[in-house]
Amino acid sequence: MDSLEQLVQEAQAEIAAADSTQTLLHLKTKYLGRSGSVQAQLKTVGSLPKEERSAFGARVNAAKQTLTNAVEARRERLSASETTARLLGEKIDVTLPGRPYPQGGRHPLSLTMRRVKEVLAGQGFEAVEGPELEDYAYNFAALNYPEDHPAFDEQMTFYVDDTHLLRTQTTALQGRVMSQRKPPFRIVTTGRCFRYEAIDATHHHTFHQVDVFMVDEAVSMADLKGTLRQFASTMFGGDVRVMFRPDFFPFVEPGVEYAISCPFCQGAGCTVCKQQGRIELGGAGLIHPNILETYDIDTERWSGFAFGLGIERIHMIQNGVNDLRLYLENDLRFLKQF
Amino acid sequence: MQLPIEWIKEYVTLPDSPRLAEDLEHRIAMTGLEVEGTKDSDIGLVIDLKVTPNRGDCLSVLGLARELSASYGVPLGSVKRNESAEVEVPPETGVKINAPDLCPRYTTRLIRNVKIVPSPPWMQSRLIAAGMRPVNGIVDVTNYVMLEVGQPLHAFDFDTLAGGRIVVRRANAGETLRTLDGEERALTPEMLVIADAEKPIALAGIMGGAETEISDRTQTLLLESAHFHPRSVRRTARQLGMRTEASYRFERTVDPALAVLASDRACTLIEELGMGDAASGVVDVYPVPPLPRAIALRPERVQALLGFPVSEETLIASLTRLGFGVVRKLTANAEGEPNAEQVRARPGGPTSSFAHAVGTGSDLAFTVPSWRPDVVREIDLVEEVGRVVGYEQIPERLPTGITLQGGDSAWGQFAERVRDLLSGAGLQEIVSHTLLSVSPYEDARTADERIAIRSALSEELSGLRRSVLPGLIEAMERNARRGQTPLAFYEVGHVFRKTVDGYSETTAIGGALAGCLLPSSWLSDARAVPADYYTLQGLMERLLAGLGVVGAVYSSREDDPRLHPGRAATLHLAGQEIGFLGELHPHLTADLTVKERVLVFELSFEAVQAAAQRGARFAPLSAYPAVTRDLAPRLANDLPYAQVTAAIMAEQIAILERFALTDVYTGANLPEGMKSLTLSFTLRALDHTLTEAEVNACMERLRGVLEKACGATFPH
Repeated sequence: MDSLEQLVQEAQAEIAAADSTQTLLHLKTKYLGRSGSVQAQLKTVGSLPKEERSAFGARVNAAKQTLTNAVEARRERLSASETTARLLGEKIDVTLPGRPYPQGGRHPLSLTMRRVKEVLAGQGFEAVEGPELEDYAYNFAALNYPEDHPAFDEQMTFYVDDTHLLRTQTTALQGRVMSQRKPPFRIVTTGRCFRYEAIDATHHHTFHQVDVFMVDEAVSMADLKGTLRQFASTMFGGDVRVMFRPDFFPFVEPGVEYAISCPFCQGAGCTVCKQQGRIELGGAGLIHPNILETYDIDTERWSGFAFGLGIERIHMIQNGVNDLRLYLENDLRFLKQF
Repeated sequence: MQLPIEWIKEYVTLPDSPRLAEDLEHRIAMTGLEVEGTKDSDIGLVIDLKVTPNRGDCLSVLGLARELSASYGVPLGSVKRNESAEVEVPPETGVKINAPDLCPRYTTRLIRNVKIVPSPPWMQSRLIAAGMRPVNGIVDVTNYVMLEVGQPLHAFDFDTLAGGRIVVRRANAGETLRTLDGEERALTPEMLVIADAEKPIALAGIMGGAETEISDRTQTLLLESAHFHPRSVRRTARQLGMRTEASYRFERTVDPALAVLASDRACTLIEELGMGDAASGVVDVYPVPPLPRAIALRPERVQALLGFPVSEETLIASLTRLGFGVVRKLTANAEGEPNAEQVRARPGGPTSSFAHAVGTGSDLAFTVPSWRPDVVREIDLVEEVGRVVGYEQIPERLPTGITLQGGDSAWGQFAERVRDLLSGAGLQEIVSHTLLSVSPYEDARTADERIAIRSALSEELSGLRRSVLPGLIEAMERNARRGQTPLAFYEVGHVFRKTVDGYSETTAIGGALAGCLLPSSWLSDARAVPADYYTLQGLMERLLAGLGVVGAVYSSREDDPRLHPGRAATLHLAGQEIGFLGELHPHLTADLTVKERVLVFELSFEAVQAAAQRGARFAPLSAYPAVTRDLAPRLANDLPYAQVTAAIMAEQIAILERFALTDVYTGANLPEGMKSLTLSFTLRALDHTLTEAEVNACMERLRGVLEKACGATFPH
């Protein structure tokens, strides 16, 4: 090993051992500076035979390159860790609370109505709005309620005058739509309804409903069942089964009450379905031909279905809310949960 | 309605199962009725049945047994009775119907040698289990038969009837009747009464009169079993505020065919129990017995509507099980006219001919039993078939047909944008009451526009809101009392008012805030400040900007009784008032739990929506640098800032990109009654870099405008 090789080895060892960029700068000057030890080797070139001088010069340049690379590599590593060390000195408590931003929120009923409309939009249903202060004709007469029929007893009504009332059901929209449109149509409406009811955990004089109806060629109870299954499966998650049992509403025939298999326990029984394995959702059926005929819709060609359910009920099932009254109380402790 | 199972078993054989109650509940549910509950009694299980208003025929032991016999496929027992003979009207029990539209059928039967004794224990047990109170033997028998077959009966003390006659007629104006409950009832000519030769003695189908009530002294009684028009009974009962077991049933239509059967049954019981001797004949005034209704049914229609095929055999089996009769057209001649008819029905069931059938297109028709007035057209038969075959047979299918564009309404989409902006700005959405008492948070100046609920039951539910502010303040107070923050709420809801030609229903966007919107923070630069008028103003600006509404003008609003006269504004768009904002009047906040200023706003949803619908037009972007220069005009203290912006905007300076107010100074070094503003102007041209000369000229022009239009001075 000649002195050049030895020098390179020494230098490499020192560079590797350098513990700061400051030391490294010092080593760079010591070995690679204008008056550094590698440069000094060139001074010995005169003592060499002429034919070896060129090769020696090349070796010195190679040694310089080797050491320059070594310094650079070491500097990168040291500088990175020095930066990290410096930045760590600026450390803050990342567990402190942040600078506050305004935090508003949505009411669970408006969120639920939005979701219902979204789900049904995917099935081709168009949302239409109807008035809360409704004509008697649309709320009852157009919906096939016979005059002075006991069916009214089930819907104690807030009247404003002889012909105006607060709608008892969002179904009131059906006549409004049919008086203006020709089939086919698929409509969803959501909104507020009113009935004289004593207020308790499951009853209120003010509540919200969704009413869904379509009229097309050859619409049957099977279309109703399929649409309900798709709607309920999307709303509640899981794959639910739909069950019908006969019921009476003047505006549908056949009229049914529909239930779904409990999506939370797959029908095995849980607290949501009160161990029933099924959850009753609302009323449904084929739109009564008397109604279609009122609006000059040919019942031989067209038929339709309708179903409705409570918005509060959907949210109560989805989120395990046990008291209907909470929705109109607007207590932030309740509203902030959704 | 409560019915003991033991009684039902007299009419239909039920399976001997330990799970009978559960099975019954399911089967009853699948007929369209509902078991609301069951209870135990001295005579075993009693079911509490809920009957939908269309199925008056199920309001009896017999009615329910009939449905169960169809469900189990077992025969229905017959009512035990000694059949009466029809007689010509004997002189002593003359019956005359003067209002056949309201009373199509009226029957009477005389019972002599009446003994008023208690009814036997077995009958009392059944009545008690059914929720009725035993009175005396005769009354108990009439109630018993009503529960058993569904026909309300009434017993008159025959000797108290003037002239021994029955006249069914409308009441005369001014007539009164003291009913069994002791109330003196004023009658009107729309009301149907039973009268004797002189005066009303009963409210038809509702309640008997006190004077003709049977008593211990009764020797002969007249038993009424009649059919009254449902709507007539309902109207009269409602007008008089009465509701009885009888009126409840008549309102839901009692089978007119029951009249004699029920009368016979009662007489049979009375005789068997030794309470009297029934005359052999019944007086039955039934001028026009209706022909049973027949309805054509197309099997393919059943399939099209139920969504699955049902064979003709199944159709016929299902409907005959429920008591419907089959009418079949056998063949047709060359002209397509029926030339033969065959009528097949249950023994004793209704019969009719095909020629009378409602509907066409089928060679199959069904006659409707007298107890099913709710079945009037083909679709009703389709339902009956579906019910018997079972709705679990209906497959699930998604509608086919033309693809329709689903989606939210324009109202719904805009409401969502408003809600997202206000929730994003830190307000909590609420949903509050439409029905309100009179509220100081609604504008008292337009109190006559309030829509009142007719005969409201309580002050809280007496009228419709004209504003969403009452609900917002209530929500704020409720949360303030519970120490909840932040108190910042909004609602998008319907509001109502009377107009010259009716009612108006529109949507309001309203909000209320008080105190700090932000929670308190440990960060010194994030100290929360309580909301004031300018918080609200900023919120309005953010909302309107977010909705793409430009050109809103604020003017001071001094005369709104709800608002602080010095800190309230009316909001205008295109010269039209669209809402207001401001601090609640101190006289309204004095009693509140909230101690901070309360800021409120309310905008017309429809007006804002209309303004927002105008789509934004693209403006090209300049590639040249902007120059920013300030002006500090000194102005009179009471000069509204809106005048400054209006003056600048009116100039329509092309290179004025924007300007902002960066300071308002009203402190020392200013003459009394003056303020100094700092306005920062950003100037930029679309097609070149502005020269110093252009900038100076523009700033001179702005100074001139402010001097001229606002009386500004520039002391520096």
